[in-house]
Amino acid sequence: MRLADASGLIFGRRRGALAVVRWIAVLALAVAAFASPGFASPVSLLTLLTEISWVGLVAVGMTFITIGGNIMSFCLGATIASSSAVFISLLDWGVAPAFAATMLYGGLVQGAQGVVIGYFRANPIIVSMAGLALIVGTANVLTGGTGVFAEGEAYRALKGKIGPLPIEFWFFLASVAAGQVLLSLTRFGREVYMVGSNLRAAEAAGIRTARVTALCYAFAGATASIAGVLIAARYGESHLDLDIGIDYQAIAGILVGGTAIEGGSGSVMRSFAGVVVIAVISSLLIFHGFSTAVQALVVGVAVLGVVMLQAVGRER
Amino acid sequence: MAASSPRTVLSVEGLSKRFGAIQALDRVSLSVAAGEIRAVCGENGAGKSTLVKILTGVYAADSGRILIDGALRVIQDPSEAQALGLAVVAQELSLVPELSIHDNIWLGNAKVPLFHRRRRFREESRRVMEVLGIGHLGLDTRVRELGIGERQLVEIARMLARDARVLILDEPTATLTDREIERIFSALAALKAEGRAILYITHRLGEVFAICDTVSVLRNGALVGTWRTDAIDRGALIEAMLGRALTDMYPEAAGAGGAAKLTVERLRVPGIVEDLALEAPRGRIVCLAGQIGSGAAETVRALAGLVHDATGLVAMDGRELPLGSVARAVAANVRFISEDRAEESVFLRLRTMDNLVATRLAEHARYGILSRSGLTATAESLARRVGVDTARLRSRADALSGGNQQKIAFGRSIRDDEPGLLLMNEPTRGVDVGARAEIYAMMRGFCDLGYSLVMTTTDLEEALGIADLIVTMYRGRIVGRYGRNEATMHRILADITHPAEVA
Repeated sequence: MRLADASGLIFGRRRGALAVVRWIAVLALAVAAFASPGFASPVSLLTLLTEISWVGLVAVGMTFITIGGNIMSFCLGATIASSSAVFISLLDWGVAPAFAATMLYGGLVQGAQGVVIGYFRANPIIVSMAGLALIVGTANVLTGGTGVFAEGEAYRALKGKIGPLPIEFWFFLASVAAGQVLLSLTRFGREVYMVGSNLRAAEAAGIRTARVTALCYAFAGATASIAGVLIAARYGESHLDLDIGIDYQAIAGILVGGTAIEGGSGSVMRSFAGVVVIAVISSLLIFHGFSTAVQALVVGVAVLGVVMLQAVGRER
Repeated sequence: MAASSPRTVLSVEGLSKRFGAIQALDRVSLSVAAGEIRAVCGENGAGKSTLVKILTGVYAADSGRILIDGALRVIQDPSEAQALGLAVVAQELSLVPELSIHDNIWLGNAKVPLFHRRRRFREESRRVMEVLGIGHLGLDTRVRELGIGERQLVEIARMLARDARVLILDEPTATLTDREIERIFSALAALKAEGRAILYITHRLGEVFAICDTVSVLRNGALVGTWRTDAIDRGALIEAMLGRALTDMYPEAAGAGGAAKLTVERLRVPGIVEDLALEAPRGRIVCLAGQIGSGAAETVRALAGLVHDATGLVAMDGRELPLGSVARAVAANVRFISEDRAEESVFLRLRTMDNLVATRLAEHARYGILSRSGLTATAESLARRVGVDTARLRSRADALSGGNQQKIAFGRSIRDDEPGLLLMNEPTRGVDVGARAEIYAMMRGFCDLGYSLVMTTTDLEEALGIADLIVTMYRGRIVGRYGRNEATMHRILADITHPAEVA
């Protein structure tokens, strides 16, 4: 038997095989989690849910970038951090106006990158790295490199729990719902899939592809800025270097959830599942006394594995 | 002259291959002699590419034997096929554009030592290029600088350097101009004279009769028969491929032609099209005939809104049609079907139904929210109208044949309320003969609805068959205009290659 035949045999029913792998992994994870004493305690679950929410809010927006065919943005972590600073600086306006203005800021900062990518066909990765450098540079000049601290008490309304769950998690759930509705029920969502699947065909079908791309980025910026606001509210301060790297965890979640890196397929619900899985793995590792370095390693291996599975299973 | 004593080089006996439920190849036997050009024809899915892949070691046959020079051979992988002298020139060229012709010729050759710029290798490159009629090109010219036809020849040169004795060409002329095709044909004649055996896979029946000695037809994985090309006619060949007679390949227009629906004046695409004027009547097919570089394809693209720097006065039904925006062209009821299905037409990773409704989202959206039932109903009715099985609506478009993908592109273009303008570049490229007939019938269906059709093709036979009005183009300008009964192959060919002689 030769290679082409063998791969046909193994990956011929690749969807089925992938689904089985997925369920076994989830099951194993759940068993490991609940077999770890203390993992299911209220305090640790609350911490877990809060962290899931921050990464998740970024992942929801990033999912649009990925499905729209632009892989990922390296700039969303910086968008979170700068959004925290913007929110804190604008708190004089009142919490709600500051919140809205921050979302606008996030939408504009990412949307501008989307415009560059959509209209000028610039490489999305490079643009996002330039965006990252610009934001970090500007913020350092403006703040002198120190943190920004919140004054007053009003912002504390965005901290704590509603019912049994942390506020962050409610915002995350709401963004998942909004993102999924946008993707699967609206014309815009359908156009995101088309642009991601085949840019030139979308163009020839009369879709305003550059606008779709810009909107994907603006949406990603808005959800990232929500995370920024919530982080500012929880800690009462903002540090630039705090949130860089969240975008990496978000893309890990998106890929593990099964959204295709080449665009044109995937969903927000998948990203939701992927983010939860990654977060549970990470916190399990911490629970069992592994360092954050090991954590990063494991996430890296998981992403690599998923990307390889996707590449191998792709039809030629 | 052909080789004096025809000697069988390659023969296969009873080759079979099954993929799951599909019998891709069913006990196929055929043999090719030295100096023979054998056409292999059949619809998509007939088994041509499976046969090629078994011969080149990509797949293993389930049963059957391969004999080379009468000796039984087992081909385990592509490098063994190379060693045995079997070489395939694929549709997607495998040249490296940034390397020189010489480098490309020796790329992947098992005989190459670490350094290959030695004189012996350069001489060999020179020799094979001479055989193929590209001796005038410099050995160190980068492949990037060559036209597609020349690249095709370099690809063949590479196979000659491997001393391939059986050359398998998979639709080598699909993307070439007539000039380039001529050069390929003369190269093939030279190879034939050298005594090489050639398997020539093609959809173009004209080529079968022009250069092939014999033709083998496959249908549903089985060999229908092998004939000498001077002992079979076109109709019989099509019947062998389809399993039924095809009486009316090119349906004619019904009813009287309407008034001009589209008028184009002073159309200009900088550097490509100059001062072009055109009228397209309602219910009729206008075909722009010209070679690559004539500006025909760009004219159609400009009308579709895909050329940003196009200028001119274009009106449809008396209303001005702005150039340079596809979205506005679509809103004005202009639809475009690209010749490049994979890159510019079909969303291969999306479902068939999503593809069918791609230009109709606006009419099913209220406040941006889509009506799923509306979209599904539209997709189903479109699928039925263009003859795509509705059971396939939920499968991905890349699972469909080229013909079915092209039907999707047509379905996407239908709008009942107000017939518009349908633009097409090479509407039947890579489509087999059965689906081709369906597509021509569909084009007439659009005419009957009152659409005006403007198309380009490099297949002149198609132009003569389907067009009501042929407009010939050369270097960005119109040379002549011919009605259905005025056009002849000779005039069209003269126009698009040597306009000076006509004028």
